[in-house]
Amino acid sequence: MAIAKAERLMNLALCLLGTRRPLSKRELRESIEAYLEAGSDDSFNRMFERDKDDLRELGLVIETVESLDGEIGYLARRDSNSLPPITLDAEEAAALGLAAKVWQQARLAGAASGALQKLRAAGLPEDVDPYEAHGALEPRIPVHEAAFEPLMLACRDRRPVVFDYRKANAAHPEPRHVEPWALECWRGHWYLAGFDRDRGAERVFRLSRITGKVRSRGTSFTAAVPDVVTVRETVASWAGETADRSALIRLRAGAGYPLRAKAAAVRELGDGWDELEIPYGHGLDAWLVEFGPDVVVLEPAELRADVMDRLRAVAKG
Amino acid sequence: MAGKPVRPANAIDQTRRMLSLVTYLRERPGARIEDVARAFGITEDELVSDLDVLPMCGTSFRGGDLLDIDTDGERIWWHNPAALGAEAAEPLRLAADEATALLVAARAVATLPGLREGDRQALLRATAKVETAAGEAAGASARLSVTFESEGGVFADVDRAISERRRLWIRYYSPARDELTEREIDPIRLVSVGHTYVEAWCRRSEARRTFRLDRVAEIRILDEPSAPPEIELRDLSEALVQPAAEDPEVVIEVGPGGRWVAEYYPHDSADELADGGLRITLRTPEPASLRRLALRLGRDGRIVSPPDLADSARRAAREALAAYDGIEAEQGASGGGRPDTRIDGREQGL
Repeated sequence: MAIAKAERLMNLALCLLGTRRPLSKRELRESIEAYLEAGSDDSFNRMFERDKDDLRELGLVIETVESLDGEIGYLARRDSNSLPPITLDAEEAAALGLAAKVWQQARLAGAASGALQKLRAAGLPEDVDPYEAHGALEPRIPVHEAAFEPLMLACRDRRPVVFDYRKANAAHPEPRHVEPWALECWRGHWYLAGFDRDRGAERVFRLSRITGKVRSRGTSFTAAVPDVVTVRETVASWAGETADRSALIRLRAGAGYPLRAKAAAVRELGDGWDELEIPYGHGLDAWLVEFGPDVVVLEPAELRADVMDRLRAVAKG
Repeated sequence: MAGKPVRPANAIDQTRRMLSLVTYLRERPGARIEDVARAFGITEDELVSDLDVLPMCGTSFRGGDLLDIDTDGERIWWHNPAALGAEAAEPLRLAADEATALLVAARAVATLPGLREGDRQALLRATAKVETAAGEAAGASARLSVTFESEGGVFADVDRAISERRRLWIRYYSPARDELTEREIDPIRLVSVGHTYVEAWCRRSEARRTFRLDRVAEIRILDEPSAPPEIELRDLSEALVQPAAEDPEVVIEVGPGGRWVAEYYPHDSADELADGGLRITLRTPEPASLRRLALRLGRDGRIVSPPDLADSARRAAREALAAYDGIEAEQGASGGGRPDTRIDGREQGL
C-alpha cells in the first residue's frame, strides 16, 4: 500500500526542522521511506518538489543552500520557523476560538483551525468553550462562489487573472482581464475590487456573476495598488443607498413598514393614506413598484414616470 | 453545539495539525484523548487517525528514532520524546493563509454590534497580539474583509434574552404580506449568514421559525421564562429558508435584466432562454409573496404559472396605475416614457 501523503509530508518536515546542517536530496531520500519507494528518480524529484511547495504553503520556511562542491541542501532553520512568544489569556483565547469557526470555506476553515492549533501548541489556554463564553452567537462567513478560492490566492500573490463575467443586465458573459486587489463580503455576497486592464480603471465585480474558471496570468501588476480599496461604497451605490435627493409618496395606512422605517417625515392624510418623504437613490422605482396599489408617487415627476412605466409593463403582462 | 464544517480529509491540514500535535504532546505526557481532541477542535476519530500516522514519522525511518507514540484508547503516551530535538518541537510560526483566515474572521466578529463589550475588547486584544506574532504573514490579511450585518439594539436584546432564558415579544415585518405581526418567541440562537437571524420557537405558529433581525420593528424582553421544546439544531449554512417538496411550484421567465432572481431565490431549476434570460422554477409556501417580485421585475420578467398569480400581479399593476389618473390631472404633468439612460436590472438590498 502506498504511504499516505500526510505521513510523507510530516517526515520531510521533521527532517528539515530537526537538522542543523543542510540535507541533500539524496540524504532526504534515504531517510524517508516514501521517497525510497517512489521508484524512478523522475517520480521522486516531482514528488519532492511538490512536497516542498506544500510545506511552504503551511508556513514552513525552507532554505536552499549550495555547498562548496555544488550540492544543493535543504533545511528549515529554527529562528525563521518558530512562533515569536505570544501570551493570551482565557478570554482572548475564547474569542479567537469563536473567530476560528466562522469560515465556511474549506481552505480558510482549515487554515484558521491550523492557526489556532499552532497557538494551542504554544500554550493558548483551552479551558473555555467559545460557545459557552459567547452564548448563542453563531456568526458564519458564507462562501458559495467557486471563484472565491482562485481569486483569494491571486489577491494574496498579486497575480493578474482573466475570467468570464456576466454583467447584471447582459445576456452573455465577456472575458475580463483584472489585477485583483481585494475581496470583500457584504450582506452575504462576495465582491472583488481590482484594476480592469481593458477599461484602464478600477472596477468592482460580484463573484456570483463570474462564469467558468478563473485563470491566472503569469505576469505582474501594471497599475499601482491603492492603499485603501473601497468595495462597500461602490456596492452601496449600486444598491441605491447613497441617496442625495428625496421623494414624496402617498402610502396606504398600515402598509409599507420598511418605507416608513426609512422615511424622513410621515404625515397622516386621514383618508386611509399617509404622505411620506423618503430618500431617493438608485433602485427606488423598482422598490416602490413592489407595493403595488398601496403606493402613489407624487414627486419628483421623473420617479413617477419610472414607476408608472414599470407598472404598465406588468399590467400588459 | 454548532455543526462543524464538513470537509474531506486533507493531507495539508493533517500535516499542519500533526506538527502542532507533537509540540503539544511533548509537554503533556499522558494527555487524555478527549481533552486533546477538544483543544485541537477535531473529533476523537480524527485524533486517533493522527496517532496512527505519528509512529511512522521521525527524522529517519532507519535509526530507531521514529516517534514512539501510542494510546490505550484513553490517554496518549510518548515513550521517546528525545527522538525529536528541541528544534523540531518548537511551536511554528503562522503561515500567510493561517494568519489571514484567523485575522479576517476575528476582525469581522469584532464588528458584530451585538457582541458583548467585554468579548469585543478581548477579541481586539487577541487580534493585535496575533498580528504581532504573525509578523509579515499578517500582511495579506488586508486583502480580504467581511462585514456582518446586524441590527445593534435588537441583537443585544435577543442575545440577552437567550442568556437569561427569557421569552421575547416582537413586532415582525413580513415582506410576503407587507404586514407587521406581533408574536411571542422563545429564542434559541443567533445566526449570521450575511444578514443576522434569530432562530426561535414561535408561540403563535407553534413551530420553529427564523426571523431576520432587520425586519424586527419592535422588541421587548418579557418576564416569562423561555421554554423552547427540545429540537434538533439544523445546519443553517446552506440556506435559511428551505422550500418543502409539497410547496406549490411557480415558474418565472426573466430577461437578461432579471437574471439576478436566480441569485437571490433558492430554485429547483434555471434554464437558459434564447434571449439571454432564464426560465426559473421554484417552490414557495407563499406564492403570493412572488407578486411583489413580479411587480419589481417590470419588463424584465413575468410569472408564467400559476396563472392566477400572474393575473393578480397584472390586476395590482392596473389598480396602481388607476390611482395616478387623479394625480396626473392634479399636477398637470404627463407620465412620459422611460428615459434612455436608465440602467436596469440591478438588484437592491432584498
